[in-house]
Amino acid sequence: MKKKLVLMTVLLFGLGVVLTSCVTIPVKPSAANFKAPVITLESFEIPQYDGYWYYGSKTKPTKGKAGNHGAPLPMNFVFSIENPNPYPVLLEGMKFTVAFDKEFDLVTVSNQDASWIPAGKTNQVRASTLITVRSGLLSLLVTGGYKLKARGWSPWKALERWWTGVPDYTLPVTVHEGAFVFKADGLVKVLPFETTFK
Amino acid sequence: MKKGILLRLLVPFLTVFFLMGFSTIAVAEQIMIGGIMDTTGATSDVGKDYALGMAEAFKYINDHGGVNGKKIKYNWFDYGYRIPEAIIKFKMLRRLKCIAIMGWGTGDTEALSPSANKHRIPYVSGSYSAHLTDPTKTPYNLFFSSDYSTNARVCITAWFDKKWPRHRDYGKRKPRFACCYHFAHPYCSAPIRAIKDQAKLLGFEIGEDVSVALFALNTRSQISALKKFKPDLVWHGNTTMSVSATIQEAYKMALGADHIVNNWGFDENLPRLAGKAAEGVMGATPCAFFGQNYKNMDKVVAAARKYNPAVPAEKRLIRTVQAWGAALLLWEAMKRADKAGDLTGEGIMKKGFETLRNFNIGLGASPITFTSTDHRPTSGSLVQEWKNGKFREMDRVDLKKRWPEKWAKEWLGW
Repeated sequence: MKKKLVLMTVLLFGLGVVLTSCVTIPVKPSAANFKAPVITLESFEIPQYDGYWYYGSKTKPTKGKAGNHGAPLPMNFVFSIENPNPYPVLLEGMKFTVAFDKEFDLVTVSNQDASWIPAGKTNQVRASTLITVRSGLLSLLVTGGYKLKARGWSPWKALERWWTGVPDYTLPVTVHEGAFVFKADGLVKVLPFETTFK
Repeated sequence: MKKGILLRLLVPFLTVFFLMGFSTIAVAEQIMIGGIMDTTGATSDVGKDYALGMAEAFKYINDHGGVNGKKIKYNWFDYGYRIPEAIIKFKMLRRLKCIAIMGWGTGDTEALSPSANKHRIPYVSGSYSAHLTDPTKTPYNLFFSSDYSTNARVCITAWFDKKWPRHRDYGKRKPRFACCYHFAHPYCSAPIRAIKDQAKLLGFEIGEDVSVALFALNTRSQISALKKFKPDLVWHGNTTMSVSATIQEAYKMALGADHIVNNWGFDENLPRLAGKAAEGVMGATPCAFFGQNYKNMDKVVAAARKYNPAVPAEKRLIRTVQAWGAALLLWEAMKRADKAGDLTGEGIMKKGFETLRNFNIGLGASPITFTSTDHRPTSGSLVQEWKNGKFREMDRVDLKKRWPEKWAKEWLGW
């Protein structure tokens, strides 16, 4: 009886050891082992294009109300996020500014969608935004006057250049002042990001 | 007997197992706060910095205990300075069950005021229009700063006290005063009645207003018009770019006047754009400039570095600090409301904001008081001057102390 009990104990212990060895021991995130994920701007897309146009509030529309309206320019930015860590990390949000002709900031995008990147894998996240000729015009008129003057451009010249050149991929689009917030078990890492899509 | 032992072991085991399982998917209580910011539109140069500062402030708040342990989920969106868009965003934030909203300009704030009041959602704005300070009309509108009218009264008073006595014509004639601003814009025109009232009170001779568009770079004709009146002091009600263009032109054409500027035209970019012409320009500042040595500024600077490492410190503006002012104010109101067991829009207002008495948020801002009958946050402001390549404190005027009767009975809400 006693022999049986000892044998059973040894067998159970052995089985436990075998099963434990089959399970990967998870690595706990720490400040020392938390490596920065690698961010790449994979693609820049204009998901819908409606040309370049603008009409002021004095123009009577065929339907709807008159107003100051300009062509929309929706933009998608697809980022690849590679997680080099042996544990998953959470992309808690990202923020970046989009500039045309390098120095004219047209929009600051904030994406607060949370996204997990598995250990050692690469995930893709998409940030979408939209500007219009009207919003671009106001931004240029009130804030970009000195820069336009330095280039000898009117706001209209700049807007037409961008609304025709950016969808055509003939003008570079700069993503700058980027901040990607990653979390792993309470640890936070904010990565700066800057690139130009040519 | 054996079954009994098995059950006795199995039941606690399964209970622990289930509890552990559920704990991993249990969602902590979150407080939903909304944000309506301008990062694409006409005010995006300053709006972007404000939006960044606001997001950083809420991250800091969450890192420091949230609202008595409850985390904040801050949902902010760009509305491009378009009022129809702001209205849509407000509706969306309501659907997200936001209990308070951080707003932006005078246009959207005044347009959304009826909705904020109807739905009892505190709307903490970047617009400091005095029209928003009378709780009988706009009970759910708030901000942390002295209002535009108070700023204007403070600035003209500071100049009258400190600069006019040193003028060669002091004691010989009345000082002459004129205003430059975009007439049709609600932000620019908001404090006009108040500043003229104050000019009259102090004994100024008031010239005709001069209209300067918010996007003006050439202001020669406006300065020519002002030269005929020969003002000693000009108040500027626009934003930084057109204010700097106007000041530059005044400098070139030797207008000979001093300049005081409303707060959205007075920031770190003004001397960068106006150069030498910015020397001696004064403005009422709702709080200190980014990085100036005041209580809590170290937190603002550290959070900016931590959460937006790609934005260099020299590009950060007083707008970041203003955003923090708004966020810290709401934080305190929410903590008080939560402690009182009423973390709702109405609770935040009645048991939070309206219990604040001389509350000091630091950052160079004046102490804040709200009562159920008066939503003017402060009765005075710090006046700073650009001098020898630095902003420096020039004066701090408290209107309530100086004119208590008028402050109490005449000046609320305009």
